[in-house]
Amino acid sequence: MANPVVELENVRREYLVGDQVTVALDGVDLVIERGEFVAIVGPSGSGKSTMMNLIGCLDRPSSGVVKIASDPTSELNDNQLTSLRSKAIGFVFQQFQLLPNTTAIENVMAPLLYQGVSSKQAKLTATEILNRLGLGERLNFDRNRLSGGQQQRVAIARALVASPDIVLADEPTGALDSKTGAQVIDLLKELNKEGRTIILITHDLEIAASAPRRVFLRDGLIERDERGAK
Amino acid sequence: MKLLGTARLALNRIWATKVRSLLTMLGVVIGVAAIVALTSIVDGASQGINKSLATLGTNQLNITAMAPDALSEQDAYALADLDGVSVMFVQTQNEGTIATEDKRVNARLVGVSAEYFEAVKPDIALGSYLSDSKFASSAKDVVFGADAANDLGLTASMLGQSVKLNGQDFRLVGVLDDQAGFGTSGRVYVTLDSARKLFSQYPYVSSIVVQAETPEAVDALQLATDKLLRERYGLGTETDARYTITNQASLIAAVSSITDTLGLLLTGIAGISLVVGGIGIMNIMLVSVRERTREIGVRRAIGAKQSNILTQFLIEAIVLSLAGGVVGLILGEIAAYFLAIIGDWVFSIQLETVLLALGFSLVVGVVFGVWPARTAAKLEPIDALRFE
Ligand SMILES: Nc1ncnc2c1ncn2[C@@H]1O[C@H](COP(=O)(O)OP(=O)(O)OP(=O)(O)O)[C@@H](O)[C@H]1O
Ligand SMILES: [Mg+2]
Repeated sequence: MANPVVELENVRREYLVGDQVTVALDGVDLVIERGEFVAIVGPSGSGKSTMMNLIGCLDRPSSGVVKIASDPTSELNDNQLTSLRSKAIGFVFQQFQLLPNTTAIENVMAPLLYQGVSSKQAKLTATEILNRLGLGERLNFDRNRLSGGQQQRVAIARALVASPDIVLADEPTGALDSKTGAQVIDLLKELNKEGRTIILITHDLEIAASAPRRVFLRDGLIERDERGAK
Repeated sequence: MKLLGTARLALNRIWATKVRSLLTMLGVVIGVAAIVALTSIVDGASQGINKSLATLGTNQLNITAMAPDALSEQDAYALADLDGVSVMFVQTQNEGTIATEDKRVNARLVGVSAEYFEAVKPDIALGSYLSDSKFASSAKDVVFGADAANDLGLTASMLGQSVKLNGQDFRLVGVLDDQAGFGTSGRVYVTLDSARKLFSQYPYVSSIVVQAETPEAVDALQLATDKLLRERYGLGTETDARYTITNQASLIAAVSSITDTLGLLLTGIAGISLVVGGIGIMNIMLVSVRERTREIGVRRAIGAKQSNILTQFLIEAIVLSLAGGVVGLILGEIAAYFLAIIGDWVFSIQLETVLLALGFSLVVGVVFGVWPARTAAKLEPIDALRFE
């Protein structure tokens, strides 16, 4: 196994609020290989989301290096970061974050359209993936007419549609009941079996325990990095 | 994303918030409607003014005396002999009184030479001119302008009856139409001979009109006229306040430059309301950017470039403004149609106005849409996603 898809080298991220400096990540080293399923666990404020945003190229570190598929990201401009994000990373958010006034299929088509794919092709691909996730009947529903679990499945479809290397899921079950949450986790595991790299942020230790690899964060530092079933 | 796809996003949003979109457009609607309606008023009004100026004849020169004894009948006869003069007539005028049995008002009494009616042909409402054939025998006849006749309460039944001018008896032979032409309305016309007796100005006249054979010959005739008069009075080349020569064509040009300026002024005022409309759009777009910060963040996360976001918001502003422009154009033309009926001028939809209205609203959309759109595009994805 030497095919790293995410590498963090001594990554620091500080926030300056007024004249107060908060250190969200305090020099973190982490390597994630292609095809891994990693749970990132830690108490509130430990820096999980900060790490997620850095891996997802939504944010830049104060110091240190973030590499995606072995390429350092610090030299990239906004446009290049965007296109890296669009090709390599799919996001699943805690609050689903489906686009307003937009149907399920339009949500899933959006990443492809932003890549310049024709709307006909985008529609085909989006329909296929929504069918697979059991939403074939609800292609033209907007977010107001979908349950939380359905919305999160649409969000997962949207994260997958452009076939990214990495799926980043920040508390994807946080707004769901435990049964629906479990279904979403099962879906992520299934996708992992097909070879996709999944990075899952959770504070639910039970969910974390089912992941093959668990990274524990505390106060901006990696406390433990466990592998294997528990 | 292709431009068409981005345009669809903008249109969807406008459609999803219909009422708000309509209210946002309102300023531009009013601004454009005002410009269109005002332009048509100015056009209509200048049509009217030009029409009545044209009744004076575009090939005429008016030589007006600047002092009571500045020009004489002899000058007029000399001018009539110039090359290229087809008609010449003189006017002499003074304030006087007009009276019937039971009413007496002030009016401008004008003595005209025989050629006046033939040359000017003012529209007549009742009776006849002091006609050429009758001129010799018209010594005690009078023709009234429309307002003068009104002031004195003259009616058709008074034709042939006696009216008093400065206390002397005259016979009413005609009344001019109220559309008879510029400046005719408040005047009372008698023969030159009668006027001499009424105000004993002989041999001085108030104005001389010479008419060139063609409109093209007017400018040359104006030079010749000036030269002749300078010779007769031994004037040098310096300007002299003895008389002024007015060229009807240049008068029309002057008046249309006044109406043009007026039009510009009114359009400017309407333009201000258009700017206010644009500021309204900008304001709502800025609010909208704030409200949709999260959406912008999500779009950035799933692959939207800054330029995609910029275009989306810019198109939204432009569509709002252009739609406002179209609605305003329609309302403005409807208003112009009714104004044309009221003001009695010809209604027509000018291509120029249509292009102006659409062009202006396009520019307003771009100018006032750029800032909100840039604000949206410049949001950091991470800040936008965190925004509550
Ligand atoms: N934009 C910001 N400005 C200032 N401080 C921030 C910002 N984002 C995060 N922080 C701080 O950085 C630290 C880590 O925050 P982060 O959001 O990464 O925690 P988390 O592990 O995701 O917590 P939670 O489980 O509550 O989501 C916290 O102390 C937080 O207050
Ligand atoms: Mg978090």
